[in-house]
Amino acid sequence: MPALTGFLWLIGYYLIGEGVIHLSGLPVSAGVVGMLALTATLIVLGRVPASLGAAAQPLIAMLAMLIMPGVVGVFFILDELAGQWWIILGALILGTLASVATTLWLLKRLMENRHAR
Amino acid sequence: MPADGLIATLSATPLFAIALTLAAFLAGNALFTRLKRPAWLPAVLIAAVLLAALLALLKLPYARYQQGAEWLTLLLGPATVALGLPLYQQRPHIRALWRELAVCLPIAASLAACYALGLAWLLGAPPTLLASLAAKSVTAPIAIGITEQIGGSVALMLGALLVTGVATAAFTGPAARWLKIEDERIIGFALGLNGHAIGTVRAFELSPAAGAFASLGMSLTGIFTALFLPLAWHLVGVGP
Repeated sequence: MPALTGFLWLIGYYLIGEGVIHLSGLPVSAGVVGMLALTATLIVLGRVPASLGAAAQPLIAMLAMLIMPGVVGVFFILDELAGQWWIILGALILGTLASVATTLWLLKRLMENRHAR
Repeated sequence: MPADGLIATLSATPLFAIALTLAAFLAGNALFTRLKRPAWLPAVLIAAVLLAALLALLKLPYARYQQGAEWLTLLLGPATVALGLPLYQQRPHIRALWRELAVCLPIAASLAACYALGLAWLLGAPPTLLASLAAKSVTAPIAIGITEQIGGSVALMLGALLVTGVATAAFTGPAARWLKIEDERIIGFALGLNGHAIGTVRAFELSPAAGAFASLGMSLTGIFTALFLPLAWHLVGVGP
C-alpha cells in the first residue's frame, strides 16, 4: 500500500500547515505551508520516497478535475457581474499583456548581465 | 414529476455530484484531444461548459451540486501539499540561476497582480471584485486559498485564472519575438509565472527545457504570492 502511506504523509503535512497557521496567525493557506514543509523535508532527506511519489503524482494529475466544481460556479454568477464584464476582461487581458512583456524583458536583462560579468 | 423525484433522490448522495464532475472532466479531455489541443481553449474550460450544461439540463441547483462536490474539493488540500514534490525536483534549475530568479521573481510576480489590479481599480472595480482578480496568475489550488484569505469570490477568480492563462499562452510567443528572445528558459519562465498551469502546458509543447522553467515559474509565483499578497492586502486596508 505505498500510495496510501504517501497519502497519509500528504494529509499529515496539510494538518501541520493547519497547526502552524493556528499557532502563528499567519494569513497563508494550510496547503502552502504544508507544501513548503514537505519541500524542506525532501531537501533534508535528499531523495523522494517511493510512497510519496505514488500518492503525489496521481493527485497532481487530477488537479484540473479538483478545481472544476469551482470553475463551473463562474457560469452561475454571470448575472451578478452584468455591468462589470468589460472591466474584468479589459484589466485581465491588458494586465497580462503588460506583465508577460515585463517578465520577458526583465529576465532577459538579468541573464545578459550574467554573461557580461 | 417522477423525473424530478429521481434527480432529487440521486442528488441526495454526494456520489452523484462526483459522478457528474468525473464524467464532464473525462468528456472534456476527450473533446480537447479530438479538437487537436487548441491553445485558446483549455480542456478544463470545455469540461466546465459541459458540466454547467449538464446541471442546467438536470435542473440541479449549483448550491446543491457544490455541496456534494465538496467531497472532491477536499482533496485540494493534500494536492497542494503534493506540489512540493515537483518543486523539490526543480532544485538544479534554481541553483543554476538563483541570483537572476531572486531578482526577477518578486518584481515580476508582484507586477503580474498589480497591473491587472491597477487597471481594474482605474476602471472603477469595487473591492470584492479586486479581491477576486488579485490571484489571477497563481496556480488554482494555491489561488483558491489566497482568494478565501482576502475575501474574493472563488468562482470569479477561477474564471479570471482561465482568461489569464489563455491570454498568457497567446501573448508570450509574439512578445518574445518582438523582444528578440530565443532562450527557451526565459520564455518558459514567463509562461509559468504569468499563465500558471495553462502557460506551463503551453511551455511543455515548446520544449522540455521551457516546460521545466515554466513549472518552476509557476511554483515560485504561487509561493511568493501566497506569502505576500494576503499580508499586502491587509496592510493596504482593502481587505475585510
